[in-house]
Amino acid sequence: MQFFPLRAKILILLAIIATVPLYAGSYSLTFMIILLMYTTLAESYDIVGGYLGYMNMGHASFFGVGAYSFGLLLNSGMALPLSFLFTALIVAAFALLISYPFFRLKGAYFALATFGLIKLLELLAFNLKGLTGGSEGLTVSSGYRVIPVYYMSLILCAATIYTVYRISRSRLGLALISIREDEEVARAFGVNTYRYKAIALIISSIFAGLAGGIFIWNIIFINPTGVFGLEIALVPIAMALLGGSGTVIGPVVGAIFITLVEEFLWTEVPYLHLAVYGMVIAFVGLYMRGGLVRTKAARSLLNRLGWVEE
Amino acid sequence: MPASVFVQLLIAGILQGGVYALAAFGLSLIFGVSNVLNLAHGQFLMLGALAVFFIFSFTELNPFLISILIIPLFFLAGSLFERGLIRRLMSRLPHEQVEASILVTLGAALAIQDITSFLWGSEDKGISYFLPTIHVGDIYVSSVRLLGLVFIILLTVALHFYLKKTYLGKSIRAVTQNRKGASLVGINASRVSTITFGIGTALAALAGVFYVILYTVSPEIGIPLTIKYLCVIVLGGLGSLYGTLVGGTILGLTEVFTSYFSPHWGGTSAYLLLVVVLLIRPKGLFG
Repeated sequence: MQFFPLRAKILILLAIIATVPLYAGSYSLTFMIILLMYTTLAESYDIVGGYLGYMNMGHASFFGVGAYSFGLLLNSGMALPLSFLFTALIVAAFALLISYPFFRLKGAYFALATFGLIKLLELLAFNLKGLTGGSEGLTVSSGYRVIPVYYMSLILCAATIYTVYRISRSRLGLALISIREDEEVARAFGVNTYRYKAIALIISSIFAGLAGGIFIWNIIFINPTGVFGLEIALVPIAMALLGGSGTVIGPVVGAIFITLVEEFLWTEVPYLHLAVYGMVIAFVGLYMRGGLVRTKAARSLLNRLGWVEE
Repeated sequence: MPASVFVQLLIAGILQGGVYALAAFGLSLIFGVSNVLNLAHGQFLMLGALAVFFIFSFTELNPFLISILIIPLFFLAGSLFERGLIRRLMSRLPHEQVEASILVTLGAALAIQDITSFLWGSEDKGISYFLPTIHVGDIYVSSVRLLGLVFIILLTVALHFYLKKTYLGKSIRAVTQNRKGASLVGINASRVSTITFGIGTALAALAGVFYVILYTVSPEIGIPLTIKYLCVIVLGGLGSLYGTLVGGTILGLTEVFTSYFSPHWGGTSAYLLLVVVLLIRPKGLFG
């Protein structure tokens, strides 16, 4: 197996994914776009949720803010690349703004306050009709964009995974993990905890915000529930936890697993698919400690492929 | 604002807050004792409401009387829930435990919601139960609401004495303060967990009784309500049982008064309040 280095395998995999539009129909392409979007969200959630150890239940607020800013920028006549650039800047500024007050909170307080934030943003989006269009939603100009959206999602997703990989092997990653293990001790050893927490939040927010931008560009119309709703808030977190939080590959595995299960249930099971879906999630929580990638079978498989975690 | 409207809003707000506090109190007990964020809490509220709806549509009894039947039923359901799903997470490390409990309770919540709407349909259900309106001068108060208020106050007093005076109540408070310490002095912490889940679930189901009388109930209300109750317990301070009561009342009053001036902002005010309180006091009002 060592004959092929890991890097080559990843490049081959990327090449295969990149050629999907050549032979796949629009249904599978849409499926892939959804998968890539959720992978991006789960992976970017994990920077704060897994490495930093702060359960950011409001990760989808970046997604929503990104989607709305991108839509508004595009509608104001800005060019596409500039819109993405400014979306990233707006989301990063938003993350910086909330990082100070929210990182004073710890543990479950942080988790629930960020969840409160996302509900607050949803209701603000409903009520600030002048800016967001309220419950009528926000529409951008339409067009056939499946192919460009696919490649943008792929690039964003690959960039997110690569960034997390680099973080996990860097000083920043060490700092984040030290904060996760014991914040007081980390501070005592000279880690500027506030600065690292803010950096982690900003990095994770940018990817989620850009995913939001691609989302509205793809589906043309968004409303507050679509981007700040429960599904978009909870599903990426469930994916990261289910795959294995605090590992590079875990959220990816979780995203693929949940998206496939969902796809199978929605198309093959006529009744009670939500119930089966719930039971699958509960089963993993009960019996697979630390997520799918930390099970023995997954570990040995990953080792054979040459992927080393932790 | 005329004084009569003010009094009516005050009563409505306290009742609303009381219902919040009732359900959130159960959640707070559960969190305090077993360190589990029970995302399926609102599902038991919904199930309690539906159970009352069905008993009421057959028997036409006073819904408050039916709710007394509900208590043992849901105590059992909650204990079984703890035994079946939560018990095995207790041996894990604290952060693993929180993560696993979120997966397990979220999964259970989705399953309960879907099975309920499969069996009973997903349309809104409500009881139309009327009693004559009481009026004192300009103030009109529905006596159903007043009865509800009395019921909640009685329950709160009963819970207070249960927690302060009985052995089990004291063990619940002891395990909330320090699980290891409590086990060390001979309290059976895992049995206390099971009982607490039972009590918390019964409280949620009781709050469901008010929901089905005052508003309407459908299988989808569970998870959004759970989130609101989580807000309430954070507002009061996690693990602070009386903070939950205060937090719930404040939230109810804020919502009712904000809705009087602008219906749209009523729902927003709750989350705005949560975020503002946490920014001023990072551990909640009584944390």
